[in-house]
Amino acid sequence: MTQQRDYSLFEAELTGAALNLQLLRRLLRWMRPYSVTFLVSAVLVLAMSSLQVLMPIVISLVVIDGLIQGNDTERPDFGMTDLTHWIADFAGMHPLLAACLLYAALQLGWASTGHWHRMTLITSVIKGLRDLRQDLFDHLETRPSSFYDRVAVGRVMTRVTNDVEALYELLRGVGTLIGEFVPFFVALSVMLSIDVPLTLILLLALPIMGGVTGWFRRATSKLFRLVRQTLSSLNQDMQENLAGMTVVQLSGREAQNLERYDAINVENRAHELRSARVETLYGAFTDSMAHIAIGVVIWYGGGQAVQGYMTLGEVVLFTQFINMLFHPVVVLGEQTNILFRAMASGERIFQALDWDEKIHEPADPVALPPRLAGRLQFKDLHFGYDPGVPILRGVTFTIEPGEKLAIVGPTGSGKSTLIRLLSRFYDFDDGLIYLDGYDLNRIHTRDLRRRIGVVLQDFHIFSGTIYDNIALGNPEVTRDKAIDAAKKVNAHAFISALPKGYETPLSERGQNLSQGQRQLLAFARVLAADPEILILDEATASIDTETELLIQDALRKLTAGRTSILIAHRLQTIQEADRVLVLQDGRIEEIGTHEELLEADGLYATLHRLQFQETA
Amino acid sequence: MLRSLYRIWPFLTPYRWRLGSGVAAFGLARLFEALVPFYLAIGIDMLAEEGTADLRRPALAILLAVAARYAVVTYARYAVRSTGLHVASDLRRQLYAALQSQGLKFYNRHTVGDMMTRAVADIALIQRLISMGTILLVILVYATLVGFGFMLYLSPELTLLLIPPLPFVFLYAKHASRNMGIASQAVQERLSDLGTHVQENLSGIRTIQAMAQEAHEMARFGRTNQAYADAFYEQAKVNSLMTAWMPSLAAVCTLTILGYGGHLVMSGAMTVGEFTAFFVYVNMIVQPFRVAGFIINLFQRAGVASDRLHEVIDLEPEVTNKPSGNTPAHIVGAVSLRDLHYQYEPDRPAVLNGIELEIGAGETIAVMGKVGSGKTTLLRCLVRLADPPAGSVCIDGHDVRSYPLAQLRAEIALVPQDPFLFGDSLRANLTYDDPSRDDDAIWHAAQAADLKRTIEGFAEGLDTVVGERGVTLSGGQKQRATLARGLVRNAPVLVLDDCFSSVDTETEEHILAELNRLRRGQTTIVVSHRVSTARHADRIVVLDAGRVIEVGTHDALLARGGWYAELERVQREGADEADFDGLGSTP
Repeated sequence: MTQQRDYSLFEAELTGAALNLQLLRRLLRWMRPYSVTFLVSAVLVLAMSSLQVLMPIVISLVVIDGLIQGNDTERPDFGMTDLTHWIADFAGMHPLLAACLLYAALQLGWASTGHWHRMTLITSVIKGLRDLRQDLFDHLETRPSSFYDRVAVGRVMTRVTNDVEALYELLRGVGTLIGEFVPFFVALSVMLSIDVPLTLILLLALPIMGGVTGWFRRATSKLFRLVRQTLSSLNQDMQENLAGMTVVQLSGREAQNLERYDAINVENRAHELRSARVETLYGAFTDSMAHIAIGVVIWYGGGQAVQGYMTLGEVVLFTQFINMLFHPVVVLGEQTNILFRAMASGERIFQALDWDEKIHEPADPVALPPRLAGRLQFKDLHFGYDPGVPILRGVTFTIEPGEKLAIVGPTGSGKSTLIRLLSRFYDFDDGLIYLDGYDLNRIHTRDLRRRIGVVLQDFHIFSGTIYDNIALGNPEVTRDKAIDAAKKVNAHAFISALPKGYETPLSERGQNLSQGQRQLLAFARVLAADPEILILDEATASIDTETELLIQDALRKLTAGRTSILIAHRLQTIQEADRVLVLQDGRIEEIGTHEELLEADGLYATLHRLQFQETA
Repeated sequence: MLRSLYRIWPFLTPYRWRLGSGVAAFGLARLFEALVPFYLAIGIDMLAEEGTADLRRPALAILLAVAARYAVVTYARYAVRSTGLHVASDLRRQLYAALQSQGLKFYNRHTVGDMMTRAVADIALIQRLISMGTILLVILVYATLVGFGFMLYLSPELTLLLIPPLPFVFLYAKHASRNMGIASQAVQERLSDLGTHVQENLSGIRTIQAMAQEAHEMARFGRTNQAYADAFYEQAKVNSLMTAWMPSLAAVCTLTILGYGGHLVMSGAMTVGEFTAFFVYVNMIVQPFRVAGFIINLFQRAGVASDRLHEVIDLEPEVTNKPSGNTPAHIVGAVSLRDLHYQYEPDRPAVLNGIELEIGAGETIAVMGKVGSGKTTLLRCLVRLADPPAGSVCIDGHDVRSYPLAQLRAEIALVPQDPFLFGDSLRANLTYDDPSRDDDAIWHAAQAADLKRTIEGFAEGLDTVVGERGVTLSGGQKQRATLARGLVRNAPVLVLDDCFSSVDTETEEHILAELNRLRRGQTTIVVSHRVSTARHADRIVVLDAGRVIEVGTHDALLARGGWYAELERVQREGADEADFDGLGSTP
């Protein structure tokens, strides 16, 4: 038996490191197939940023300085002045018109390069993460079901949905930052070439903005968490109250519950108001900084201009560059939060991909004959899920081909474990279970499970039509075969009565079917697959008598001539079996026919008296 | 839409001064904001006109305007946002209260999910309408007024030239925001498909693996996954196009300023400073047209949300509590049903069609019948979960409708079919109606419901939290817990609606024996499918299609050879022959 890990602690294994380079490297592995698209996107962002910087240059240096003030600049204008004059000469138009034309061209260029930059970026990200999500799903789908005994499905599910979502945000965030910082540096270099002191003064604002943004993030992250928590308590309270409304009203709890709800409501509002206060204080701050910077440019730049160190156009250019300088800092502040979240998400995803629990497949599986007889042998079977806690303690018995064996026993006697082992949901030692003389461990689970049909207590419905739920994607189960199976197990009548018959869509949990109907559908599913061996874990819930009779009749047809193991709760089922096996504390207490066991007057006879005493 | 929005007004009135002052402050803030480019223009002109201008004055004016704007705009935003938060919280409370006063008719029509959407999404929409909608509306009005005001003052002709592109900006914005709405809804739907798919697969993993369906399911997930990626791509495209073309459309205005404004400056009709200021002002007037489409959308959706909320809030309570005042202080337990009719919906067939039944105080009655024969509805009528017509249900000679509702439901303890437990401790669940009950009473009830050993098996005992975040109970355990919750009330009348369906027969026998002992001399009504349960009762009532078809003791009904006798035979012998047709239709 392999050592089993306790996955209930998996959340605690996360490091929660803010910047995890190893994680990023691992993530890039999924991006690699799309690296060309990603590179194209990077080239386009450079083009877009350059065009973005050139547009204000046309306004200030070309039009204001060159055309209006009449002094051509000696500063780097990236050839915009020359280009304007060339257009004017070439087309024989006024230089002002030429400048407008140039501006329009730059704008259109910016729009298209920007669009294609974003589309190429998002394409590579979407495809990379789509692959990651598929790999994650495939990995989870192939974990043995023993794995799911110890993890909550909801927790694992969010890794495939929310956590991959967070990575989208991360990769898109990186793209956004590139789109912000490239213009930042281009604008910065132009500004430095014009006036170093003024540029440095403006740069002083950045640490202030960074500091305030950082304060804001810290202050709000705590408040936001409280807001989220109280909001989710509000929703949970209402959801539960709605679900249990009958109990609430029968218990006369309305006033008390309203009071309880309103207490959370008021608390939530208090947190909301506090975070609104912080947010509004911060909200007007960044644009105020930009406005202050305009004042500074006028004040200082004006002085420089008067003394001839700066031209008028250059002063205007500075005012236009202010946003390009300040905005990235704000965005950076926003992105750090996303980065933190995404790191945690990435860690959870890769942790899930590293869960390696699996059922061991034989290195050299036997090829099963096309049709098995169906003899099952259990030889001194010992088993326990956890070391030191044995569930089965030496179970030995044989089921002959076509025999119907009912297993009864108190809760915890090992009945369910027995059938779980038979369908190889858990690993166990060699030489314990044989199917037609083959050691179960030498048969590939895939081959084995095709030969064994299992009807579990909780019949699982897949979203899809009734037909889909019978066929389960098996191409061999044609419509006719499915209908045939349904007819045999008495499911045809209720299916035909549904508005769309076999095409009726079933909701996820099968709420539109009654317990009994679900049981019949489960029978149809197994019968359609026509396995050599049937395992049934009978549902305990009582069903109205008519449906009960239909089920018993269906069961009789299902087990006819088929080796069957029935974990039975109903007298009827037990009486129909060829032999009854009584299990207690992981050992076989008794085995024999119903009559033999009654006569022996052992545990079975006692159970029988207690549970099925004569009604008259 | 306006009428729908107007219905929110009563919720706004307590906060009208707060909201009003916020709106006024926004106007002031815009004015201060517009002063920044105004003084920028003055400063630039002072530079352009050569000379030794003292630039401290315009610079200082800008700084002062910025400081004033900061203070005013911060106040304004807070005033408006807090109004939204207050209204949302008031709405939430009202909705909760309204939902609690609704009964089964309402909950048959509306799902929990639907109500949750109203409580979460619709209230959020109203809150956004007030917080964001007001701000946007204010921007729309003030920015346009102030922006146009300053521009007209600087250059009327250039200002007029800037107007023609604006309708196009508006139309494009409206179109784009609609497309974005559609695309983001598609993404949400695909994402929820994805979640459902994974959830379904992981919770059904045993079935999938037992049926060797892994490969098939992976391929199926591939399609769901791809559909999501496609929707995501589409949304990104719509957003990106909007990001690209919206500024380009606005750039038509910038170009107009550059060309015509430049011409004006060169011909001396305009100063360079004014020319520069125009680039700032034009943003002020383009922005409202960009957001107008969004505002319209927000108002429309909030209108729908308002209607959906008022649909619930304005409902009359389904069951009126109008005690007559002359009912006895305590119920003894004689029940009489006289020609009781009931139907849940006017357009659906009646469930009860004239029930006549007298139950003496202290009697034990078993109610049987096929699915849909009206058993549950009959029990509900006793405690007005389903409100019976006046005069048709009497307790101790008084109409149930004349008792105080609280008394009726406290003294007739109904244990419903569906074993619902709250995600709380067992103690809180068992004493849900009266948390002050002592532990002795709880243990007593737990003992009778055969739950004592189960509770003792938990390390935390009565403090064990059940439900999603605690211990998951089996169906039988849940049923026994709800039974204990009913027994602990020690009510004069106990009504059990099929409470043993998930309990095995042995346990059921034990509980029934306990009940027999505890409820001696008290009225007890039990619905069951099992003859083994019913035979303990003083009398057995068989319902079919909302009518009483058989009444009598176990032996009397067996002798009568009707539906009950047939059921008894089938349950005793099992279905040897295929004569279950006989039970399908009423004899």
